[in-house]
This record gives sequence, structure tokens and C-alpha cells, in this order.
Amino acid sequence: MGNLLAWAGGGSDGGAAHSVEAWVTWLFAGVLVAMICCLAFEEKLHAKKSVIVGVFALISLLLGACFEILPFGPIVVGGHELNIPVYIPGIDWGVIAIILGSSLFVDVTSKSGLFTWIAVKVTKFSGGDPRKLLIYYGLMTVVFSAVLNNVTAMIIVGSLTGVSLEKLGRKGKLLGFLLVEGLLTNIGGLLTLISSVPNIIVGQAAGIEFVEFFVVSCPYVVIATALTLFMGAKLFGIESLKTDEEREAAKQLVESFDENDGIESRFFFWFGSVMTGLFVIAIASTSYLPYIRELGMGYVALAFAIIMLTRYKAVADRFYQAIDWDLLGFFAALFVVINVMEHALVLDLIGRGLTVILDLPDLGASALLLAVAAFFSSVTDNIPLAAMLGKILASPDIATPSSSPLWWSVVFGANLGGNLTPIGSASTLVAVTIIHKNKIKLSFAGFVKKALPYAIAQIALAALYVVVRHMIFGGASEG
Amino acid sequence: MTKIDQFESVFKSAAKTVFEHREVSIDSILTVTDLESSEAASFESRVVEFLSDVRGGGGGKRVIDQEALTNIEDLLRTVKSESPDLICTYRALKSDAWRWGHSLGEYLDVLTQATTTPVLVLPHPNHESPFHTGEGKLDSIVAMTDHLVGDHRLVNYALRFTHRGGSLFLADVEDEAAFERYIGVISKIPSIDTETAREEILQKLLQEAEDYAKSVADVIAKKSIDVRVESTARLGHHLSDYRRIVSERAADLLVLNTKEEDQLAMHGLAYPLAVELNRVPLLML
Repeated sequence: MGNLLAWAGGGSDGGAAHSVEAWVTWLFAGVLVAMICCLAFEEKLHAKKSVIVGVFALISLLLGACFEILPFGPIVVGGHELNIPVYIPGIDWGVIAIILGSSLFVDVTSKSGLFTWIAVKVTKFSGGDPRKLLIYYGLMTVVFSAVLNNVTAMIIVGSLTGVSLEKLGRKGKLLGFLLVEGLLTNIGGLLTLISSVPNIIVGQAAGIEFVEFFVVSCPYVVIATALTLFMGAKLFGIESLKTDEEREAAKQLVESFDENDGIESRFFFWFGSVMTGLFVIAIASTSYLPYIRELGMGYVALAFAIIMLTRYKAVADRFYQAIDWDLLGFFAALFVVINVMEHALVLDLIGRGLTVILDLPDLGASALLLAVAAFFSSVTDNIPLAAMLGKILASPDIATPSSSPLWWSVVFGANLGGNLTPIGSASTLVAVTIIHKNKIKLSFAGFVKKALPYAIAQIALAALYVVVRHMIFGGASEG
Repeated sequence: MTKIDQFESVFKSAAKTVFEHREVSIDSILTVTDLESSEAASFESRVVEFLSDVRGGGGGKRVIDQEALTNIEDLLRTVKSESPDLICTYRALKSDAWRWGHSLGEYLDVLTQATTTPVLVLPHPNHESPFHTGEGKLDSIVAMTDHLVGDHRLVNYALRFTHRGGSLFLADVEDEAAFERYIGVISKIPSIDTETAREEILQKLLQEAEDYAKSVADVIAKKSIDVRVESTARLGHHLSDYRRIVSERAADLLVLNTKEEDQLAMHGLAYPLAVELNRVPLLML
């Protein structure tokens, strides 16, 4: 696979090796822009991402064949010549394996009742006090986003929020809770290398390891979470309960939650708990484990998923049906499109455009790249953006070192841009879906209006953090 | 978005409805009879004795005898003006229906429907029963409904009537005919697996009732009330299902909802049940 990926990555060599006429490059650039526009208007088109990008992958491949820019022919893997279709090696199977494995693992583990047990325990621990509930749910959102993924975290915490606020008779505060949780998914998504897809893509491209990623992002996540919760409590008027009677009544209401209700088997519950802990440890230490290091995080994720599936071996197909094939199809098609764009020298073209930013002094470039990445990921999917920027920064012409703050600008920008609009990230879209499911009206503009103060504060804080961190540690890291 | 629904379902299921204990005060009682004055007084004294552990000390009591029971309008006016906590009477009040056992009589019918006051319906004086021989007790109480979860009022009343040391049996008999009708519709929807739907809906339906009954037992234990709580949750439809439970439990009193609008199914069965179980005292709420 390493060879395959090297070949795919080395497409730029291939691309650079052959000449492509300028108008052809612009034609492909037009195809790329059209795809991004279609993704931005996904809701209006009533089409799934996988279908949109799949159509553009077909068009790109056909055009690539017509203009003879694709490197057809056998490829060599481990000394063996293989006839593999040209669109297969372009896909980053490492990323696909991580996403497939971890989503299967999370899906099966959720059947153990572990996540709902934690969620209900947290609710009880708050005593039903709205301010405490906001803080605890906020922290839970961040942790779940970091350990599971943004979308699953939003689904779990958002669903619980709707039920618990209804029970507490505080549905009036639901919008504030869900919005803050939605925004926090993208903060929590910054915590680890596997918390969000842009992290995985950029981390793979830059060669950033799990622990290093965590060490860099953790301080920002802590400060941004505290800031978001503070702003949420103030702007939505989420106060603590005043009297003992109110506190007692709220406590009784949350006490009626039964955290054990979703646990079908005690053994599987404990097994799921232990496996979740081991999963995080294994992912974090993949790059340090002999043999496993070579197999990669995708192998670890798939291994844990398969171990968990043994519990449901007779009905494993139910879990396969629940896999988000749209997401996986989207990634596969997206990698194909980007690979074709690489051969058409579109990425070189964008890279040259980016030099306006990259030629600025280091710190200015980082801050500006972060802001630009945030803006673009707010109006279209942050995954193509991260994939493109990752390819460009890693290209031989730019050859960005892994210690460069530019990588972090892409990571922070791509994740936090999702907080500017409801379509900026999958988890904010889930938050809006839950908001609408609870019959609360919130338009696109309404979301932007409410989320803007938070997003600006988070993006400004991120730019400041990347710059200050680089000023303090940058030289040492590079050294 | 189906996953949102899945997790919402998990949390909704975890959010249990817990029994809320409220003291039910039964101080003033109005005994309605069609008996002569002395017999009415004797009936009233048996009622007072029967309810010796139930009544509080603060309220009054009044008996209506044959002479006072002129017509239904007057009776309803009296109930309104007296506002008793409990009306005590017997089946086939001012009616010969007791002979044939096919009706409760129009007076009782109107009384149970036109007032909001709970009505304790006792066996007719012409029927032999432990109540009339002075052996009536309130050791085994059965509260029966087709929707137990959250029916705090039914349980609180049933608990109020249960002697300390006695047993309170909570019976949730879900309407089998309605259940089968819905499953019949589900069986015609290709996207829903019928057997899974049947199994899971039934399991959740009955589990909720069991959970609520358990919360009753927990609350009672926490408040140190010496009453043993037992329960059953099952599907049923025919009168025989209800009759079997009453007979199995050797119920001293059967507590039923008969006036709430959302208890239509039970209301429909309450009447024939009250007619048929003519030796068992009923508390109609």
C-alpha cells in the first residue's frame, strides 16, 4: 500500500513529467470549482455527496483519458507488476480504513450501552441545574467528538439534550444548548488526530503523530471550550437554579433517568468499556508499536471493529448496513477527483495562487491561511479543502516541514470554519437537524447570526494560538 | 438521520416515569341508598366500619335513604352541594337490575359518569358478600387499567384503600385487540419487519408498566409504608382476562378508572366488569 500511495502521491511527478496545456488545466480547474459549488448547494440539489462527487470523478477520469494526462499502465507493488485501474491507486486507502474501522467500532460499541450510560450519568451528576447541564454536556460533547467523531458526538449529546430538557420543562433553552453543542463538536474535533477527517488527512500528509497532535491542540481546545461555554451561558441566558426547592425538584426529575436501561448485557458493557479505552491507547501509540506501526491506524481501527463485531457475529450484516456508505463513497470519489486534478496540474495552479499567502512572513501566512481555510470550509465541505491544501503543502515545490505552523492553520481553519454556517460541517448540520426536529425555527441566516460571535472568537483565538505557539516553540521544533 | 432517532429512543426509554406519591384525603363520605331509614343507617355503619382505616378524622358523613332519594337530578345536586371525598353506594341502586345481573342501574350509571367524585360501589344488599356479613376487609387491593404508566391518581387511591400489611396488585392489561390491529397494519408495510415490531413493541409496552410498578414499590418502601406491591403487565381483551386476575388475587377491592376521557378502552370494559363482578367492591375513579 505504501508503494501504491507513493505512486499516487508521486502523481505530481507524473504530472510534472508530462506537459499539460494551460487551457486544459483551466478546464479541469473549472470542473473542480463546479464540484465545490455543487457540494455547497448539496441541500438544494437534493443529492448525496457521494453521488455529486462520484459524477465529477467520472467526468474528471473521462476528460483525463481524453487529454492523455493519466498514467495508464501497470504499476509495481513490492516488485510485482499489477494491472490496477488508474482510479484505484489515487484513493488514500489509509484514510478510508480509519474512517470505516472507527465508525464500525463506535457503532458496535454503542450497542453495549456505554455511551448512553455515560451520558445519563453526566445528566444525573448535574442535578438538573441548567448551567451545570450546559457545562457538563459541553464537556461531554468535546470528549465524545475527540474519542468518537463529531457527528456521533452530536447525535448522542443532542438527542439526550432534547429528552432531558423536555423532562426538566426547559425546552425554551434547547436552541442555546444545541447550538453550543454543535459549535463544540468542531472544537472537540480538534483534540486528536482521529477526531475529524481533516485532521486525519492533514496529519497523514504532514506526518504528524497522534501524541504530537494532541499536545499541540489540547491547550487550544481547553481555552476555546471554556470561552464557548461562557459565551453560550451569557448569550442564551442559561442560569443556575436559584432556590433549594427548584434544585430538589430538578434533581428528582433527572434521578428518574435509568442509566442501565440501554445495557443488554453487563459483560458486553464492560467489554465495550475496556475496548474503548484500549482503542484510544492503541490509536495513540500506533506509531510506537513495532509491526503495527507499518500496518497503520487504519489497521488498528479495523481490528478493533472486527473484535467488537464478534459479539454480533450472526447479525454483523446489520452493522454493515448502518455504515455511512455515502461518506465512504464521497471520500473515494473525492480522492479520485483530486488525483486527476493533480495530473492536470490544477493543484500546482492553486499552489501558485497560494504563494501570495505563503510568501508572506511565516506568522502572517499562518494567520491568513487559517482565516482563508475557515472561510472556504464554511461554505463548502472542509474535507476537499483539507485534502487539496494537504496535497499542495506536501508537494515537492512547497515541501512544508511537519513542524510548520501552516499545517496547523489548515487543521484549525478547516475545522473551525464549520462553525460559521450550518453547512460548514456535518456535525453542525446534525445540530440544525435536531433543532428542526424539535420544531424550533432556525434559518440559514439565523444560524449564522447566532453562531458568528462564537466562530469569530474561536477563529481569532486559533490564529493567535498558532502564531504565539510558533513564536515560542517553532524554532525548537524545527531545530 | 435515523441514528438521531435511535439515540433519542434510547434516552426516551431511559427517562422513566416514576410514581409520585400524594396523600389522598378521604374525610367526608356520602352514602347513597334506596333503603329505609334504619336499614340505610345500618348500611352506613357497615361502610364506616369497612373504611375505618381509610377515612381521616376530619370530615363528616351523611346518608341518603329511600325517602331522600327521589330522583337523579336531586341526587346530583346533593353531591354537588356536599362535595364529599367519596360516594358510597351499591350496585343496582333504586333498580331491580340486581335480580338479573345485566346492569348497574341507571342511578349508579349516571352517578359514576356525571360526577368527578370517586364512587365506592358495594355489592347489592340482597347479595351475599363478606361486606354485608361484616367480614369485608381491604387486605388485597387490585388496581386495574390499560395504561398504568403515569397514572399516579389510580395508584394513590388504591394505596389509600390498602390496609397496612396488605397487598396492592397493579394490573396493566393492554388492549390486545388494538395491539393486533396495529400489528396487522405493520404487517402490510414492507419496510417494517413484522415479527421484530411485534416483539419489540410488546416488550417495551409491558416493560414500561413493570418499571412504573417497580417505582411504586420503591417509593412506598422509601416512605416506609407497610404495603406489599405486586404487579402484572400483559395483553388482554376479553372480560375473562380481567375476571381471572381479580379471582386469582382474591381481591377485596377493585380500583378502576371510569371517568377519564383517555381511558376509553377501560371505560368500555369497566361497566360490564362492574356488572359481572357483583360480589367484589369496586372503587370507580
